[in-house]
Amino acid sequence: MPLNKALQEKYTQELSEIIQEGSIDAGIELAKNASSEGITTVEFFTEIIQPVLTDLGDAFSRLEVFLPELMKASMVVKGIQESIFTEDNLKGEVSDLVKGKVVIGTCQGDIHDIGKSMVAMLLQINGYTVKDLGVNVTPQQFIEEAQKMNADIIAMSSLLTTSLPFIKDVVNRLSAFNSREKFKVIVGGAAVNSSWAASAGLDGYGRDAVEAVEICNRIINTK
Amino acid sequence: MKHTTRLLDILDRAENGPIIDESQWDIFMVPQEIAKLQAEFDINFKNMGDTLIPNDDQLADRLFEAGFALANRIGVLCSSTSRRMMWTTKEIEDAISVAPIEITYGNGLDKHTERKRRPEDSKPLTIKGGGVGTIIPEYLYLPVHQSYAQEPLIDAMINCTLETIYGREIRTRSPWEILVGWFEAEATKTACKRAGRPGLGIGCVENAVSEISELSVTGEGGFSKYDWHHIAMVSEFKTDYTALNKLTHLVNNGSIIHSFYNTVYGGSVGGKEGVAIAIVGGCILLQMIYMTNTHSVSPAHPFYGNDTCPEIMLPISIAQQALARNSRLMTDVVLTPVGGPGTKTLLYETAAMAILATASGACGLIGPRSGAGVNPGHVSGLESRFMAEVAHAAAGIPRSQANELALKLLALYKDQLNQRPAGKSFEEVYDLRTLKPVPDWENMYEGVKSEIREMGLPLR
Repeated sequence: MPLNKALQEKYTQELSEIIQEGSIDAGIELAKNASSEGITTVEFFTEIIQPVLTDLGDAFSRLEVFLPELMKASMVVKGIQESIFTEDNLKGEVSDLVKGKVVIGTCQGDIHDIGKSMVAMLLQINGYTVKDLGVNVTPQQFIEEAQKMNADIIAMSSLLTTSLPFIKDVVNRLSAFNSREKFKVIVGGAAVNSSWAASAGLDGYGRDAVEAVEICNRIINTK
Repeated sequence: MKHTTRLLDILDRAENGPIIDESQWDIFMVPQEIAKLQAEFDINFKNMGDTLIPNDDQLADRLFEAGFALANRIGVLCSSTSRRMMWTTKEIEDAISVAPIEITYGNGLDKHTERKRRPEDSKPLTIKGGGVGTIIPEYLYLPVHQSYAQEPLIDAMINCTLETIYGREIRTRSPWEILVGWFEAEATKTACKRAGRPGLGIGCVENAVSEISELSVTGEGGFSKYDWHHIAMVSEFKTDYTALNKLTHLVNNGSIIHSFYNTVYGGSVGGKEGVAIAIVGGCILLQMIYMTNTHSVSPAHPFYGNDTCPEIMLPISIAQQALARNSRLMTDVVLTPVGGPGTKTLLYETAAMAILATASGACGLIGPRSGAGVNPGHVSGLESRFMAEVAHAAAGIPRSQANELALKLLALYKDQLNQRPAGKSFEEVYDLRTLKPVPDWENMYEGVKSEIREMGLPLR
């Protein structure tokens, strides 16, 4: 049964304000209050957190909010997840709350950070579990981390043509170790385009953060 | 000049400053400090309407104070050592008080001196023409650069990058990177000779992603100390051993240093106001870490990769004014349009930014990086000639007139920004036998010049 509309509006409004302040403690307190009013953990996530984050993501795609706001939202939601999303609370429903798992980083030979961070943040607020490996990430690091967290997607950023061979290395290594089918591999950044991604045997290309989320959604929905 | 004492001081700070976790720097320190400074110095563009080139000296001066405070309060993170490199107010004041106000590029008859300018200055700014890192196929690399070098209004050249080296893929920090650096030096110097300008100062080593190419190719037979050598500050406000290795080599070699920092609109620094503070603070910090001769900050749009959107043009203009009015630092504007060769969009964007940079007090104009530099082989010398002509015609005009012109031009290309028209490749817009623009491209260029004359800019 859907959540009472008035209750949902009250909590989404409060959560939006808390995210603006970036207060993790207030976010946890809000989730506890919701629980005491009979809202389940899953309802809190799907009917309160997710709509707030969707609105925020939409606002970012119109550049009405910026990376610092996404960072605050990510921090608050992560704090809530770590505090109240326990196995007891979720009663086995965790798989419904996480769209997919993504390992992301700027590939070896490149230290451009901001665009990749925007993608990571936008994926997180769109319901993905994201492991951001930072910049200058070797092919082996991508693969090891993807295996460790059983990721669905390896997402690589490249703004320099001299780092493109390292993207191909990821695909080649996965194939060499018979792991290519385990992970979808996508790429973005100024040095690449859709035709390069296709010729390199990748599963997708996103030209900006918004498109990256769309591609991940498409990949997860067709799995 | 070898600033060995100051170099040692910089390297010491990279080893001995306070330790900070990089994620704390990215997530908390930079965004929080910028937001705080915005309020503290009342940096607010909300009531400026559609202004692109403000005429508010008090705002420019407050912005300089905010940028100075940013540099003073956060410093630079050396990510190789996780150390914050910090400077006191007096140390920053001392450093920028002796920064050079002119620098001479090149050799012989092709020498050119770039000089400090102020807003509305009647001195023409320096034209550094070229495709700024745009990828070029090997077989076109030399003719593309010759198309720039042969333009007499170009005072110095800025290189493109190579798609492959001897048909092989190029990998960062590998022998291929050394080979590509040498290819760049040989091809661009040959291009300058063929254009009859053997001493033209060259912006390099554009293919040196790591330091090994710069270290290899700057010296005998390669690029000279009279070329202008690039070192980057990574966003936001970070350096590392790669950059400091370049610095150490260039200082010991006595080379001209051009440093840059490219922030992202909507990134950690936030919106318009944050970008403006970051440009000012960034230039000051570039001076502190790299003892640089000329500085550039080229903010990029997160979706289009350009700097010709109104939300980026305004902060560039006011930040250039702030630095021009309040410091000796010589600053350049990198022109990054979305349009490519063979499009009117590219010409309108180029004209708007050239006028903006000139009236705002920039010392040099770099580019254009046509099509935001992402379409291989889509650049040509004609757009740099056009950039120079507009910039020279705009020298000395008041900011209010420059703003009106920029707004008229923006209205002509604004709808094209999200289309990102790639235009045509070099081979399609130039005749490769004569290295002249093809009639369609030349006619389009002449047509847009006429339009701009009708707007009131006395273009030759």
